[in-house]
Amino acid sequence: MALQSAPAGDHAWAAFEAEALPHLDRLFRLAMWFERNRPEAEDLVQETMMQALQSFHRFQPGTNCRAWLTTILQHVRSNRRRARGRSPLVDDPDDRIGQATPFVPPVPQQLTDEDLLGALARIPARFQEVIVLCDVEELTYKEIADALAIPLGTVMSRLHRGRALLRAELGASTGAFSGRRAGA
Amino acid sequence: MECRDVRELADSFLGEELLTETNHEILRHLETCPACRADLASRRELRDRTRRAFQSARNLDPSPEFVTQLRTRLQDTAHQGPARRGFRIQGWWALAATVLLAVTLGLAYRGRDWIAATSALARAAVGDHRNCALQFRLAEKPISLDEAAQRYGAAYRVLESLPPDDVVTAVGPAHVLERHACVYGGRRFAHIVFDYRGARVSLLVTAIEGGVQLALPGEALPHVTSAGRIDEMSVVSFRTSRQMVFFAGDVPQADLMKLADAVAEPLYRGLAGV
Repeated sequence: MALQSAPAGDHAWAAFEAEALPHLDRLFRLAMWFERNRPEAEDLVQETMMQALQSFHRFQPGTNCRAWLTTILQHVRSNRRRARGRSPLVDDPDDRIGQATPFVPPVPQQLTDEDLLGALARIPARFQEVIVLCDVEELTYKEIADALAIPLGTVMSRLHRGRALLRAELGASTGAFSGRRAGA
Repeated sequence: MECRDVRELADSFLGEELLTETNHEILRHLETCPACRADLASRRELRDRTRRAFQSARNLDPSPEFVTQLRTRLQDTAHQGPARRGFRIQGWWALAATVLLAVTLGLAYRGRDWIAATSALARAAVGDHRNCALQFRLAEKPISLDEAAQRYGAAYRVLESLPPDDVVTAVGPAHVLERHACVYGGRRFAHIVFDYRGARVSLLVTAIEGGVQLALPGEALPHVTSAGRIDEMSVVSFRTSRQMVFFAGDVPQADLMKLADAVAEPLYRGLAGV
């Protein structure tokens, strides 16, 4: 049970290449969604992967490498925001999970992928983050909490409220969509 | 369970974040409630469609040039030598992780959030079992229960002798191979490893932090529950006033429950108040 030593040279690269590099595309897509700017996404992913390489001896084989990389990406992103003098994303003023909405309507069938992503992009960023990390990246609540440095309860409440907001947006865009169709 | 309860837990249910017992309660409710079935189906469809829409958005893809350049740069950096900074800051990372987890769990134990918090603890316990008892690859070297008792509290002292080294269960004997305290995912566990039913099985005890104790009004006996299978391991748990106790191992759930039944009561009494 000795401390793991940092792998070096070829060995380090081989381990990193096998474990971390396969996640590069998905990590970039995540960064691209958050940043909405290709040069910024490229900078963010490059810094994330460099930090991951430097810290790779701390990664525990058998655990979720994508979640580990996502956590680093969020740290880098948070640090970059602070360095630019932009305030970090604020916590919910009300994190109660019990903000239940009435039974939700079914997802409108006529929605396109663009409609859905458009609606997702219109809800506040803190809700987008948890929805994308949960539904797209399929991280566990704990992995999301670790990545975003927020409590588990906040992950749950943001998911709950974020999905309600997403449905509201989808309903609105369906109306607009139907209206456009009807008027066409 | 009422419709309102199901709605509040629906997202966690779909995310497979609930304990087995809670899942069963929801499933029982769904058998007789078409409205909640429709609600859950709609939520599941939204999740699936979001994932598909995201994955098919080609404008989010990295350019081949970027991937090639980054790969080359990473490879060059890897061959320049190992990182030295990691060991200096490792202790700080461990401390930060511990504080983060403590704060997270402390907050999470409030109200309904204890379900998710317990689920997270069960996953951590399984992670400790796998990484310590089976694969011997913890980042931090385990310490003796004696040392842990001096540093962290009397509960570790109790576990030096409880459960006894040889336990008789309804399906066969269990023998203690090792007792120590170890850290996994920033969380400290008292860890007792058994040889049981031809496999290594872990008994893991961890404190509930944040000064928030789970109320146990009038409970004289532990309530042992199955947490189902987590990461290909059977998990059984019960709680005391200050700790969560987990049993984890790659043995049938029923056999693990027998082991828990055999040791839970004396353990529960021994840990009372410490």
